[in-house]
Amino acid sequence: MFQNFKNYIQNHSDITDEQFITISGYLKSKVIKKGEFVLRQGEICGYSFFVSKGLLRSYTIDEQGKEHIIQFAPEDWIIVDRSSYFFNEPSELFIDAVEDTELVMLNEDFITQACNISTVYRAFNHKALHSHIRHLQKRVNLLLGATAEQRYLDFIKLYPELTLRLPQWMIASYLGLTPESLSRVRKELARRNFKPH
Amino acid sequence: MKTKSIEHIFTPPAPHMVGDGFRVHNFIPGSYGLSMQRMSPFIMLDYNSKFYFPPTDKPRGVSVHPHRGFETVTIAYKGKVAHHDSAGNSGIIGEGDVQWMTAASGVLHKEYHEQEFSKAGGDFQMVQLWVNLPAKDKMSKPKYQEITKENIQKYALDNDGGIIEVISGAYQDKSGAASTFTPVHLQNAKLNAGGKAGFSFPAHYNTALLVIEGSIKVNDEKTVATDNFLLFKNEGEDFTIEALEQSVVLVLSGEPILEPIAAHGPFVMNTRDEIIQAFEDVNLGKFGYLD
Repeated sequence: MFQNFKNYIQNHSDITDEQFITISGYLKSKVIKKGEFVLRQGEICGYSFFVSKGLLRSYTIDEQGKEHIIQFAPEDWIIVDRSSYFFNEPSELFIDAVEDTELVMLNEDFITQACNISTVYRAFNHKALHSHIRHLQKRVNLLLGATAEQRYLDFIKLYPELTLRLPQWMIASYLGLTPESLSRVRKELARRNFKPH
Repeated sequence: MKTKSIEHIFTPPAPHMVGDGFRVHNFIPGSYGLSMQRMSPFIMLDYNSKFYFPPTDKPRGVSVHPHRGFETVTIAYKGKVAHHDSAGNSGIIGEGDVQWMTAASGVLHKEYHEQEFSKAGGDFQMVQLWVNLPAKDKMSKPKYQEITKENIQKYALDNDGGIIEVISGAYQDKSGAASTFTPVHLQNAKLNAGGKAGFSFPAHYNTALLVIEGSIKVNDEKTVATDNFLLFKNEGEDFTIEALEQSVVLVLSGEPILEPIAAHGPFVMNTRDEIIQAFEDVNLGKFGYLD
């Protein structure tokens, strides 16, 4: 049930099998179907969600009813509304399943216990927060100043396999493009026989 | 010539949905003992056993996805499927027709229930098979063979036993409608109750049967029920099928391609690097475009 999460946490810390068993009491697991929600706008986000298998996304819906995708989380990714989680305020985000998904739910007690047990984990958790901020900063910068092609190339570098698992409109929504512009970007890359390395 | 002996009879595994239009039992490579290596050149077999889809205005199916390194063969028993690909091919196949798409260097395609069939609803029954390509042909140009039932040669069995439809390969003096890259025999035995047919394929060819309808006795020895899959050992050449009732049996036999297999999702290549290349090529638009 927690095997993939245990592998993940042991890859990033010195937490032993025995220690993991003692703190795993704070974890919950959940299996959801494609389209089911783990968080709705207005709710308080009480957990971080680790994806063992499947694919989650976070997004907002604007006044015209259009979806804007903030993040995708395939296997071994964590997705959370950090502002709702940390400040205990109603979330602006929806998080739902793009595919049938098995996930592990981490609450603050788990994080605290893991940090107490392992300073390596504490450092990893701290670094993960800053990696997330770095990622968001880059994303804001790309959305404000980059061309559609630059955004797309950044996307396939970050999520090389997701292009096969997502419908075009979701990729376009994440990139802040229309599906037609996304199609033009790919056409142009193929025409130039673009090599990314 | 020796009798081809039976290795195992597989009952259909629990079905899963491919997209929202195909409710399939995956025999190859999902069943224990039916790996890609064991069954080569047949590297995937999904069987949509007869299933009723209610009427709908929005055709069910599988949206745009890529393939590289092999061929997809769809054999329609009930219902109708429409196909479009980025090489510009499209078509509709119905009962008795076969679609043989060589993805080779790469295509994007989508498969949907045909519009009128979707509106009316009805029984749907199909086999989708992936046939591997040898390394030298994996990056060849994509192609598409639409094989309608009129173009499939039929061998009439003695004593009103039924007919053998030759999709590829050969049966007696009849040869298959489809062209293949390596020896692949794909035939539908449509037998009347009591009808009997003999087959002969080299011992080293990987050979199997899928009972689409009815029930049969193989080699006067084992009874095989509807929706079951029979695998032969790689020993002996000859076997017989006798229909215990009106039956339809898909017969598969092919020369194994003895090359390394690296498979990931919709790509089947020879090395890990070629798989990574396939992802990169799809992402960079090299498989073409399809809405």
